[in-house]
Amino acid sequence: MKIITLILAVALPLAANSLPSEKRKNGPLVQDALSPVQVSLQESSAVFYSNETSKAFLYGTVVSDDGLIMTKASEIEEVESYYVRVGTKKFRNPVVVARNDVWDVMMVKIEAEGLKPVDFSQAKDLAHGTWVVSNGATERRFRRPRAGIISANKREIPGGSPAVLGVGLKEKDGDLLVGEITEDSGAADAGLKEGDKLLKVDGSDIKNRDGLVAYLKEKSPGDKIKLTLIRGKEEMTLEVELMARHKLYGNGTTRNDQLSGGEAQQSARRTGFPMVMQHETMLNKNTVGGPVFTLDNQFVGMNIAAVNRVEAFAIPGKELSQIVAELKKSL
Amino acid sequence: MKFGTILMATSFALGARAHADRPDFNNKEAPQTLSDFREIQSALQFHLERTRSATVCLQMGGSSGSAVIISKDGLVLTAAHVTSKVDEEIKVIMEDGSEFTGRSLGLNSETDSAMLQIEGDGPFPFVEVDMDDSTELGDWVYSLGHSGGFDKARGVNVRVGRLVRTAPTTVQSDCMLIGGDSGGPLFNMAGQLIGIHSRVGASREESMHVPIREFQDHWDELMEGKFIGEGGFAKKSKPGTGFLGVVTEETEEGVLKVTELWEDGVGEKAGLKVGDLIIEIAGEKATKELMTSKLAELGAGDKLKLKWTTGEETKEETIKLGERP
Repeated sequence: MKIITLILAVALPLAANSLPSEKRKNGPLVQDALSPVQVSLQESSAVFYSNETSKAFLYGTVVSDDGLIMTKASEIEEVESYYVRVGTKKFRNPVVVARNDVWDVMMVKIEAEGLKPVDFSQAKDLAHGTWVVSNGATERRFRRPRAGIISANKREIPGGSPAVLGVGLKEKDGDLLVGEITEDSGAADAGLKEGDKLLKVDGSDIKNRDGLVAYLKEKSPGDKIKLTLIRGKEEMTLEVELMARHKLYGNGTTRNDQLSGGEAQQSARRTGFPMVMQHETMLNKNTVGGPVFTLDNQFVGMNIAAVNRVEAFAIPGKELSQIVAELKKSL
Repeated sequence: MKFGTILMATSFALGARAHADRPDFNNKEAPQTLSDFREIQSALQFHLERTRSATVCLQMGGSSGSAVIISKDGLVLTAAHVTSKVDEEIKVIMEDGSEFTGRSLGLNSETDSAMLQIEGDGPFPFVEVDMDDSTELGDWVYSLGHSGGFDKARGVNVRVGRLVRTAPTTVQSDCMLIGGDSGGPLFNMAGQLIGIHSRVGASREESMHVPIREFQDHWDELMEGKFIGEGGFAKKSKPGTGFLGVVTEETEEGVLKVTELWEDGVGEKAGLKVGDLIIEIAGEKATKELMTSKLAELGAGDKLKLKWTTGEETKEETIKLGERP
């Protein structure tokens, strides 16, 4: 391909080369233009406040006119006691009435009547690039809208944490050697020692580091594997119980987690959902739990996880409708 | 990120730019009604499928970045800190998971621009480039990338925002980015490529991109595989650290004879044997002096082309140098 090189020295005038913050995507001018959708957020969002700090720490989605609210289970459990606001009204003594741990949701009841629940009949799948509106920050009487677009495929998010041995692995002269051993890991308990030369896993030859890592990838935390190794001149086989990576090394250890604000910003529970709709609205762990609307005020989901700097997950409306129906039956 | 320090006070009349074909939402301070949002959405969606299909994931070593194809024969734009070297083999993964081999061309270590060529039969899906530099401050833009690495179930990740700052070799948007997006494309709402993701600020709303004009300024050098500058986005190998693992002596006839080989050295791995005669080094007649000077200027990981004869056959290999022990 031939493209003529264009030498350009174009620079916009200095005074003009920064856009004032109010005009930016999450700025107040853009927010103002969303006021027709704000109405839905105002009516059908609940806000959870800590009794201790009086700070809003989570949103909820109103699912019945008599005060049933859905929210994120793992996040609400972090706060000892709380009260709820819907619209401009304050409700004391909310009661947890049902939960579903697969989806990490909780159903909370407040003493209310005449609320405006979300309309599940409008739920539908949205194409990439479609605007959706969620709760951004909140004021006591006013829910602030924040917009983003559908950013990736609707899909299942595999659960939990990968299974790990708890050792470093070194390749040296074609051998695979055990490196540093993490305290309290399955490898430490089984008696693996630094320098052990690994030969087989569950009776099959280990080709190299990648081979062993690929084998472990298929395993789950709690599974046991047999490692055949040479220590000094002695060959031995040890049984090692694999552990969940986050139990051994904690969450928030990747560079992308750090970039995303770590535990202060990201939902602690952000994997293991049977189905999610992904959008890029700038949420954090304290702004999930609320409803997601289209520009036409159609309810399409409930925010369930602030995943990282660029990704937010919502439970799609259809799935949430089924979860709510089942939880109501259990009451 | 010290953005402010690189703003340049260049200001001259551009003349009246044609605003006729600019979408209306770009001429507004901010969306005023929901229909402005809808117009942004339909423009983005109109171009999304095509631009997604040309957005690829690059993998080398253990790291993963993004990039975008700009010609049907597989020319790719990306970031210097993604390719990090010139003339390096890099795996290219399309959104559907199909894989190709690519080779890095040039890079600019000072501004973070880089090119790569896919080695394979096209035609490849590709995007149009905003060669006229027509995108302005405040314009709505969208970013694509393989955020956090390739994920087939998720696919390419799209984000929307505005162009919030411009400078000669950097533009800033409020499209959020994360590791893995590096090297990926930023588009205007006409679906034209306007920048390549480079880095982020502390806030989630600060994303920096290398503008296309920066690629244009160094187009030929990048195409020719040059390593430009001594900036922080890519480091040249350290001269003198390259190791061939071959001991040679110049015979009385003036040819370079292999007298010793290091076990497992790159020379031995390339097939050199004791007794072979080296004919050419990097395309020039082989001498002891040339060998010494070449190895003094090359570093570990750099490449050296050798031509030699075993007496029966002539061989030629481009050898990637090992690390001097």
